[in-house]
Amino acid sequence: MNRNGFLALCFNALFALFMMGPLLVVIGVSFTPTGYLEFPPSAISLRWFKAILDNPDFIDAAWISLELGLASATLSTLLAVPAALAIGRERFRGRDALQALFLSPLTVPTVVLGVAFLRFLSLFDINGTFLGLVLCHAVIVTPFVLRLVLASVTGVDRSIEMAATSLGASHWTVFRRVTLPLILPGVVGGWVLAFITSFDELTVTVFIVNPSTTTLPVRLFSHITQTTDPLIASISTMVILLTVLLMLAVNKLYGLDRLLIGGEAR
Amino acid sequence: MAFLELQALNKRYNAVVAVEDFNLSIERGEFVSLLGPSGCGKTTTLQMIAGFTQPTSGKIMLNGRDLGAVPARKRGLGIVFQTYALFPHMTVEQNVGFGLEMRNVPADERRRRVSDALDLVHLSHLGDRFPRNMSGGQRQRVALARALVIEPELLLLDEPLSNLDAKLREEMQLELRRIQQEAGVTTLLVTHDQSEAMALSDRVAVMQSGRLIQEDSPFDVYEKPATSFISTFLGKTNSLPAVLRRKGKKIDIIIDDVRLPGPDTDLPDGPVELSLRPERIELTDEVQATLSGDVVERVFLGDHWLFRVDTPIGKLLVMQRNLGRREAGIGERLHLSWKPEAMRLLPRGEAS
Repeated sequence: MNRNGFLALCFNALFALFMMGPLLVVIGVSFTPTGYLEFPPSAISLRWFKAILDNPDFIDAAWISLELGLASATLSTLLAVPAALAIGRERFRGRDALQALFLSPLTVPTVVLGVAFLRFLSLFDINGTFLGLVLCHAVIVTPFVLRLVLASVTGVDRSIEMAATSLGASHWTVFRRVTLPLILPGVVGGWVLAFITSFDELTVTVFIVNPSTTTLPVRLFSHITQTTDPLIASISTMVILLTVLLMLAVNKLYGLDRLLIGGEAR
Repeated sequence: MAFLELQALNKRYNAVVAVEDFNLSIERGEFVSLLGPSGCGKTTTLQMIAGFTQPTSGKIMLNGRDLGAVPARKRGLGIVFQTYALFPHMTVEQNVGFGLEMRNVPADERRRRVSDALDLVHLSHLGDRFPRNMSGGQRQRVALARALVIEPELLLLDEPLSNLDAKLREEMQLELRRIQQEAGVTTLLVTHDQSEAMALSDRVAVMQSGRLIQEDSPFDVYEKPATSFISTFLGKTNSLPAVLRRKGKKIDIIIDDVRLPGPDTDLPDGPVELSLRPERIELTDEVQATLSGDVVERVFLGDHWLFRVDTPIGKLLVMQRNLGRREAGIGERLHLSWKPEAMRLLPRGEAS
């Protein structure tokens, strides 16, 4: 049964603890009845969860983040799927350059991106608007979608599509009935990753929000700069819960390991 | 005009010639194999017929209709791919019904035709399975049913058996032949496996380097190979450089210093290529032997033995049916004989 040696087990346990530790502390702190950050909590209380309801600007910010995540993840998926199909299977001039361009938001420092977006959006006078946020976030999250969709596109046997064509299906029908279902795990996985990335994006967003479009991470950040009460812990706990639920749902539908590690689309 | 006609078909990729001046006619209901080593252009030819690749020049006529301007999806051909290319997210029934759905066949007729097609391939009990839960042989038959259900004018098979293990492949050969005959569909098979081509087809067309080099019944291609390439590609053969010399009516074959009585031939005197099939060489005694030699290799293959015998004309491959007795071992002497007609003479200098 036990294929890992004692040392390996210790290492794995430490690694897991290192990854999970901060989250556990945050969750622990959120249950404190006191007015300051206390860990471990001296008692269990829902005081700071109730407090969320008394802070409508956090709830508004959460809604904005949710809408922003949905919109930007969807927009970037709509862009990345055709791009991945072209890059993954066609040979054309500038293909590598195009791929590098789509993935470049991963390598450009986010602070630089933030300043650039600020200038760029001002040019079109949409700085601070929801539209501006959606566009910028779509750029930031596209690499994640592209990577996952690309992985599933290259795994598709072209002769399956040829078979559909030979049976009388048009290009669009082949895409809708055959290609899309085959790459769907990658598409859904990419979308979820994009949503999560957008939902907690801070560095770039700080540059381009205004008071009416403040997202949850920006709201939390400005709250921390003024006070440090356990409210931020309870809100973080809710966000962690939301993420875990989303991951569980995706896992149930498609299998997470397959999405994130990649593998045969079966 | 034949049912399917490939006329002066050419395919070039920039400077690379994939298919060159290819002509082939197939009659209605015929089963023809395109046989050749990988890279000989047989798959490109199939892709051009299917409409997935545009020929550089030449014509493809099917039942009097020029396919040149017809897109792949309107050609109405049944294709079985090497990987089977089943839709993994659809059940067997949905897979088989896909072509009918694309033709807007009403649901009840569709159900009937799908079930007929599955009956034909003996899979009616597995209609609601997914391909991933099936064996290779079963998937193969689903692919066949899916291609046949649309009642194609022409069935194209791309190395359909190469992903099966040896035993299953033999079973599927018989099965494929039965299904093709029951459906009565004109069939073109592309394969690099000579035994597959010979077992299945009415006619074999051998390709090499983008060209058609022989087109004949399986028996004639095997027995009367047009080139030494074909004689080595189809089955095993002993291929030896020899010199042909006539003395009056007598024909002699000279290899090194050995003079053998030769077969009738139209070839002129001079250097020739001699081809002698290992199964045409018989074991005999010292008196009647054409040649003798020592066994240098011996392999037992169940139903037959293979020997390599070091004779004065070179090392010969000899096949001997297993007669239930122990055969000569390495280092022992074997006496060989064959009829002059067993030797095939080909002009020397063919590419091999």
